[in-house]
Formats: sequence, structure tokens, C-alpha cells
Amino acid sequence: MSDTGRGSPFAPHTDAETAAMLDAIGVESEEELFDIPEEVRFDGEFGIAPRSEREIRREVQLHLDRDDDLTAFLGRGHYDHYVPSMVDHLADRSEFLSSYTQYQPEVAQGFLQALFEYQSMLVELTGLEIANCSMYDAASALGEAATLALRARSVDGTRVLIPELLADGRRAVLENYLAGTEATIERYPMEDGNADREALADALDDDCAMVYAENPTVRGTIEEGLSEIGELADEHGALFCLGTDGIALSLLEEPASVGADVVVGDAALGLGASGGLGLGLFATHEDFLRQVPGRLVGVGEDSDGNRAYTLTLQTREQHIRRERATSNICTNQAWVALRAAMHAAWLGADGLVGLAEDCVTNARDLADRLDDVDGVEAPAHDRHHFREFAVRTDRPAEDAREALENEGFAVHAIDDDLLQFCVTETNAGEIEDLVAAVEVVA
Amino acid sequence: MSFDVPDDRGYMESHEWASEDGGTARVGISDFAQDELGDIVFVEFPDEGAEIAHDEQLGVVESIKAVSDLYSPVTGTVTATNDELLDAPELLNDDPYGEGWLVEVDLADESGLDELLSADEYRDQIE
Repeated sequence: MSDTGRGSPFAPHTDAETAAMLDAIGVESEEELFDIPEEVRFDGEFGIAPRSEREIRREVQLHLDRDDDLTAFLGRGHYDHYVPSMVDHLADRSEFLSSYTQYQPEVAQGFLQALFEYQSMLVELTGLEIANCSMYDAASALGEAATLALRARSVDGTRVLIPELLADGRRAVLENYLAGTEATIERYPMEDGNADREALADALDDDCAMVYAENPTVRGTIEEGLSEIGELADEHGALFCLGTDGIALSLLEEPASVGADVVVGDAALGLGASGGLGLGLFATHEDFLRQVPGRLVGVGEDSDGNRAYTLTLQTREQHIRRERATSNICTNQAWVALRAAMHAAWLGADGLVGLAEDCVTNARDLADRLDDVDGVEAPAHDRHHFREFAVRTDRPAEDAREALENEGFAVHAIDDDLLQFCVTETNAGEIEDLVAAVEVVA
Repeated sequence: MSFDVPDDRGYMESHEWASEDGGTARVGISDFAQDELGDIVFVEFPDEGAEIAHDEQLGVVESIKAVSDLYSPVTGTVTATNDELLDAPELLNDDPYGEGWLVEVDLADESGLDELLSADEYRDQIE
């Protein structure tokens, strides 16, 4: 409550109106309307001293300046690809930037068409029949894939098999999604960065609901034998969920042709290094149309026979189906999906493939250069790589990471022995300097 | 408008029907229900082998107007499902007492049949 005499500064009620409403329902204070446990109540001071806008800007800038020193070779799910300025230019138009979910098709044809294009691109890239117009990120898309598998009529099992090597965030979100369901999550072993298919075959039985694999993997290796994983899952009546990204999809095996039932992942388009904000891809077979989470844009005809776009199959969603909705996500990342679609459209098919090929050759070139440095083995896994790869150094990994940071480079230390480097078109120009720094610290 | 309410079966207030034949019952929705719903586009029902109970949720039927939960008129084990409906949900509109049946149930001892409305009672309800 503020002392302006108008109650909350964000609500249009005066103190007198608030008092009248409280009186009408017979409670003493607004606090009585909420049941907030004592132990989570905060009654201290925030310790924030009032400062002028100029002072705050100066202080924030000081912090930002400190961050600017490092050249990042970071990846593991978040990739810094160059986003053409056209994307900002168009996506920042106010009719895109200020609009919420497109519930009202008669005023949102442009945005709906863009989202339909996004879905169509994903359908083309995955070979699957339907794609939704995005989830929050790869992790929430993976969680939704698992709950779809549990709902699907064709699936009986409850075990969800995931790779031993998986980004912590994705695993944690999946665990959260499945907490409280009958499902159990089990990890299958990896062999030199890729799925150990023999071990996976042993782990699979008819009680499996879903097998998850990634291509590329979190270590940047290109997964082999995906068809075999797809067949194994199919034999046991489990769904095969493949995690990938929008750029990898342009070059690597088409998910539908290796038997994937659901594709999830991060778009990796339209955003650059966002510091966490993602765009979850979600595509699947038409068999699961009624089980798809999130928003779907469909195309139909208006009463004059013109093509018209609209949100469709909303009866799956929680604003209609309430507690029996397919998902408790009833929204999407419309603006981010728009940006991804714009980025992909700008690149075109050839541009996307070219970008994806650079992800392979840049990683190979950097690994070759690093491998020549004494005390460095790169890549640590004897595989083909996409964008990133693990590196073994004679020094303990954390030690080496810190030394590289002092030289001005940010890389991952992924365990005691391994570093991980990710290269895209935005840092490929810094490879010389990085290799020189590695020579110093190795 | 009058609706077809065959005398040879029992009804739920929520518009499902069950017809018994020697320990097995067929289950569906009434003519009135299909008319209220309008064009039916999707139907969901339990798998063979599922245990269902009187007055508990049996499935979901979706029309261009609404999504409605279906409730089971009987208690027992599902022995057959009308999978034709997955591809042709309009059978529920066209022939709710025949081709549009939903599931067949092997009735348990306390089958719930006694609780059902007679055709006359159901006619009174929907008039």
C-alpha cells in the first residue's frame, strides 16, 4: 500500500473504495484475503537507497562494462548466431511488438499468417505433419513431449529414457513436469558422446513410454544410428522424441525419416545469445493432433471464400478444457517465433544449409587448430561435431577455464577433465586469438 | 422437436445410454445429446481392458460448439471399443443408438443398471 491516498499505485481504487469493498465482504484488511504462510513473508528492508536516474544508469553501465571484456565461445543449448538487422527492423513494428496472443483473428491476420509460416517451416524441416507455434524453450518442449507420450492411446508404458549426457536445465524441467505422474525417468549410457545403442536396447522394454535422444548432443557430437533408436522405440511401443535445433535441422538427418514421433528443441534462430530466453520447437505426427500442447494456427476460409488464419483446436487448451487440458501452457512465444520465422525466411533454404555447414566446418577447423597445441586433445570425442566439441587438457578443466577467462575468453568447463568450445559465425573471427590464448594457458 | 428414445435401454441424466444383453452392455449417447452438441468432430473413450464405473468419467466428446465429458452409465470392464469413431466421429450424429455406439462393457455385479432412467423417465427429462 502506498501513502498516496489511492491505495496501490497500480490499481484504480481509492482507500475509501477499498474500505467499502472490504466492508461489503466482511474482512478487516486486504491481507485477510490471502493465506500467505508466516515463514515466506518478508518483513525486512530491501536496502535499496533512492538514487536519481542518472546515478542508476551510471552504476548499471559500470557493471555492464565489466562484462564486455570476454569473448564467448559458449554453447550447450544457447547459441550466438548473427541475426540480420532486418529481423529487428520488422519485428519491432508496434503491431507485432505490442500484441498479445492472437485470440481475435479478424484483427490479427498478419501475425497469424506469420505464425502459420513458422509452423510450416518447422513441418518442412522435421518432415512431421504438424508443428505448434512454439513452447517456451527446449526444456519445456521436452517436458510436454513426455506428458504427450503418457497421454497417447498408442503408448502403454511409464518409463522415460533420457541420455546420460543432457543439459542440467532440460533434465530438471523434465523431472518437474513428470513429478506427480506415474512416469519414471531413467538415463541410458553414452559412448564417446553419443548414445550407447546396445545399452539403450538393453534398457528398453514394453514399459517404456518415450525414448529421448539429441542431435547434435549436448557435447556437440552428431548422433549416429538414429534410425536404429527410432526402430527400437517403435518395437517397444514407445515414442521416439528427438531434440535438435532449427539450424541443425537444415543439414542433419530429417527427424521423420529416422522415425521420430516428436521433435523438440530450441529454434536457435531470431534471437542471438539471449542469456536464457529461448524458443521451444514442437512438432509431431498428425495422430497426436488432439494431444499437442500449446497454440496451433490453422488456415481456413472466411464467408467470402478468402483465405483466413485463426487459432485452432483450442478445445485442447486450458481456457476451454480447464483441468483436462492437454497442457497447462495456454500461450506461446509469438514474438520470438515471429523472429525465428523472419530469420529463416531471410536466409532461405540455401542460406540455412550454408549456415549449418559452417557450424560443421568452423567446429572442425577450431578443433584441428587446438589439437595441434601441446597438452590439448580436440575434439575429445572421436565423432563428427556441430558447432561445439569437448576438449581435453592436461590441466584440470576448471583451472584451464579460469586461465582462459583471464586471457579474455569464456568457455565451459564441463567436468574435471573436459572443456567445451562452441564456435559460430559471430566468434569465428576470434579463433586466432583463442588458439593463441590456449597456447599460453595449456 | 421430438427425439428418438428407444425403450430397450436405460439412460443417464447426463444423456448417455446403456443396453444390456446377457451380462454385456453397449454404451452410447442419446439422440438428444448428439443434437445438442451439433456436429461432432472428435471422440475419446477408454481402451479395451479399462475398468469403468457408473457415473464416473468415461471419455470426451467434442463438437464444433463444445467439449463435453461423458459419464459411464455402467460399472465393469471395457471389452470392445468402436474404433470407427476415431475416423468417423459423425457416426455419433448420424446413428447414436446404432453405428455410433462407444464401448462394450462386461458388467460387474454392481453394474449400475438399476440406477438408470427408463425411456419414459428420460423422455420426461428432455421434454
